[in-house]
Amino acid sequence: MRQLIRRMGKALVLTSGIALISTTASGQSPGAGVSGASVPPAKFLSATDNQGPKSAEELTLAMWSGAGNVTTYTIGNSWNDWVLWLVFDKLREPSPYVGKAEDWLATSVTQISDDARVWEIKLRDGVKWHDGTDFTAEDVAFTFEYYREGPANRWTHHASAVPRMVGIEVIDRLTVRLTSEMPMPNFDRVTAADLPIIQKAQWQGVEDPRSFTDLGIGTGPYRIVDYKADQFYKFEANEDYWRGAPVVKRLNLVMIKDPQTMFTALKTGEIDGAARPVPPELVLQWKNDDDLELVSSPTLWGAWLDINVSRKPFDDRELRNAVTLAVNPEPLLERVMLGQGKSGKHGWPHVDSFWTKPDLSAPHDPEKAKAILDERGYVDTDGDGFRETPDGKPMSWSLKVASNQPLFLRAGEMLVEQFAAVGIKTRVETIDPGSMSALWRTREFDLRIADITPHGIADQDMLIILYRGDKNREMIFDEEKAEIVERWHEADTREKRLQVSYELQEYQTRYPTRVMLWYPETVFAYRWQSYDNYAPSAGYGVFHKYSFLPDTLRGDTVDPLLTN
Amino acid sequence: MVYFRIVSQYLAVFAVALTLNFALPRIAPGDPLNYMLTEDVLANMTAAQEAEVLREFGLDKPLLVQFTAYVTGVFRGDLGTSVRFGEPVSEIVLARLPWTLLLMGWALALSAAIGTALGILAAWWRGGRFDLSSLVVVLFIGSAPVFWVAMLLITLLSAELGWLPSFGAAPLGAIPGSGEYILGVAERLIMPVTALAIVQTASILLTARSAMSIALGQDYITFARAKGVPEHQVFFRHAFRNALLPIYTNVMIGIGNLVGGALVIETVFSYPGIGTLILEGVEARDYNLLQGVFVLATLGVVLANLIADLGYPLLDPRVRRT
Repeated sequence: MRQLIRRMGKALVLTSGIALISTTASGQSPGAGVSGASVPPAKFLSATDNQGPKSAEELTLAMWSGAGNVTTYTIGNSWNDWVLWLVFDKLREPSPYVGKAEDWLATSVTQISDDARVWEIKLRDGVKWHDGTDFTAEDVAFTFEYYREGPANRWTHHASAVPRMVGIEVIDRLTVRLTSEMPMPNFDRVTAADLPIIQKAQWQGVEDPRSFTDLGIGTGPYRIVDYKADQFYKFEANEDYWRGAPVVKRLNLVMIKDPQTMFTALKTGEIDGAARPVPPELVLQWKNDDDLELVSSPTLWGAWLDINVSRKPFDDRELRNAVTLAVNPEPLLERVMLGQGKSGKHGWPHVDSFWTKPDLSAPHDPEKAKAILDERGYVDTDGDGFRETPDGKPMSWSLKVASNQPLFLRAGEMLVEQFAAVGIKTRVETIDPGSMSALWRTREFDLRIADITPHGIADQDMLIILYRGDKNREMIFDEEKAEIVERWHEADTREKRLQVSYELQEYQTRYPTRVMLWYPETVFAYRWQSYDNYAPSAGYGVFHKYSFLPDTLRGDTVDPLLTN
Repeated sequence: MVYFRIVSQYLAVFAVALTLNFALPRIAPGDPLNYMLTEDVLANMTAAQEAEVLREFGLDKPLLVQFTAYVTGVFRGDLGTSVRFGEPVSEIVLARLPWTLLLMGWALALSAAIGTALGILAAWWRGGRFDLSSLVVVLFIGSAPVFWVAMLLITLLSAELGWLPSFGAAPLGAIPGSGEYILGVAERLIMPVTALAIVQTASILLTARSAMSIALGQDYITFARAKGVPEHQVFFRHAFRNALLPIYTNVMIGIGNLVGGALVIETVFSYPGIGTLILEGVEARDYNLLQGVFVLATLGVVLANLIADLGYPLLDPRVRRT
């Protein structure tokens, strides 16, 4: 009885502590990112590097974001796209974030024309869909056609916009030729490394893909055998996988939204791995845990301050320059993220993306910010310590954060102080997450803090995608930027495109529509006794299909792991 | 006549609730598009493409057309298709409902039984050690947020002692109906039911104690004792029966409270019931799903109140005369 009471007391203390962790975890970007092609590798963080099994009959992992019926229309973000990749393959892998890719469903992806508009893809022979039928060039051609003409999803821009395919031609059973409207010099590194190939037989005739409830049929290492959306997913190893049978035979994914419950389930052994980043406080606590191992692995995520350029006075690019000069991301990283990650002073895109200009930086210079504001007529005319607009009207900006993001709330409060230091009055407003996600379309905000995944900050083509669409066209689009974007489209070699991309990054960092705040470090935890063969892969962390393939079959899809 | 009036009132309430169920999700900022398509997708879309996605779920039609379709759908049992799940709302709701009923049923039964028993005993021994200690405990627990109680239970019974699983409603992989499955369901029910029941018990206990105290102070109790009625008969037949009405009212009102509590509890325990469905619907601005769940919740609460109203005359003959 005494022991029980003692444990209850401990539970009370623990609950209070974990409640705090839970609060921060729910608000933390559920991913982070440190690394890329040329950045420090992933790190093993536990005190002891145990040697657990390198294969498993069954694993149960927890995830926090639903995946529908595991198709490209029910998975639409980088929080959980690793679930999609269990089932589907790309022409080349692992991702468009690292500037390198190896042939996967393709055996070669070759530029045919000098202007980089025509590419030919040779496909692997003998690959089967999960229903046993042959994978052929018809499927690849269909994928591009469906994504070009059909309903939009996270990947359709690869066929409908950047690049826009104008010719999709099946040459023979295993050869496809693609022609784009504009040059696509990085087709092999970006498009081919990001686009999931879908089965023609399953998708032809599907007009409403979001209401389509059949299980996704892919060519990947796992086939989905059962699911209840937002509850669980069951996968079985595809023993006939063309690259070799996975070493984990059955994979269960269970949905646990509450971070505290997920980490408790991991600690008690109910699950074998938690596919959400471990909050900083728990990292310190678990480093010496006998049952768990921790790995810091890059997911290339970030947090940014979004500026509503469609609203005055933010259409004034010099004012936006003053805004970025007023922001100091260093203390945000130290106080909000407890130093775990990298500060946003490196600018946009992600500091560790292959595509990012190496010396890119967003300097903090409040004096210069003040000078710009003075010059543009934003001065304090009534002596209250805050500036007014050039026509003498009061100026007070709202800074919106989602109510389930306490870290963003803290960051917002610090930003209010930083803006006040240059005479700009701002205030933090919290709104519910659903309303927050609506802001991009309603444009009812001045400033807001939001998460961004690698697709948004580590994929070169997305830099351009973010300037397209009707909504974007409604926003201010000055001539200098338009000219750079035009040159980007016309660049017909990798080098030219990279150089123009660097120009765009410089421009974007000086006159931002978004100011990067931090790039969080991502730490994942798993039970080594169940399976101890996880490998980091930039953009995905450690929970992805490559971790479940035999070591010898992983190729260059995984990154080195620094151990103690 | 009394019953006709009661039923008519509830029909009117249901009609108003149907309208509110339709209006409230749409008043909130945003629409389902923001859930279905992330910003990086929306950034690349034309207005026509956005409209196409809305068409897929019938959200491009005028509000009046949507409302008419919704109301007629309710009476036909067709609640539309969920944007979040891509499946018929009625199927989703029916699949989740049993879990919530199981959870709420047990929580209500436990809290009603324990709360009532402790409350009437506290009143019987009013001012004594049992009364004071139960009051202190109840006031403490009653003021605790249900999620905190849930986290405390998880930390103690799962993380510390390892006695109970911390999430879900059923063991993954067990065959429904098998011994392993039933045991797994029972294990997973203990903590959420306890958390809900603990918080609800406090309210019922206080009501029971108060009602019983008032009843025990009435002249007919003094009279019963004066004429030599045995104490257990005074307790049950004279005091408890008269105290039952407010307790019954409180228990029935508790059904509504439990719906709210289930929303939190189901999220904490990843319990696949109606509560988590509401949260998922709100996050996704899934109008059809929210309408479906709210219709169900409305029906549930209206039904519970109707049963309560209809039950009063059976419990208290005096009500029949009014």
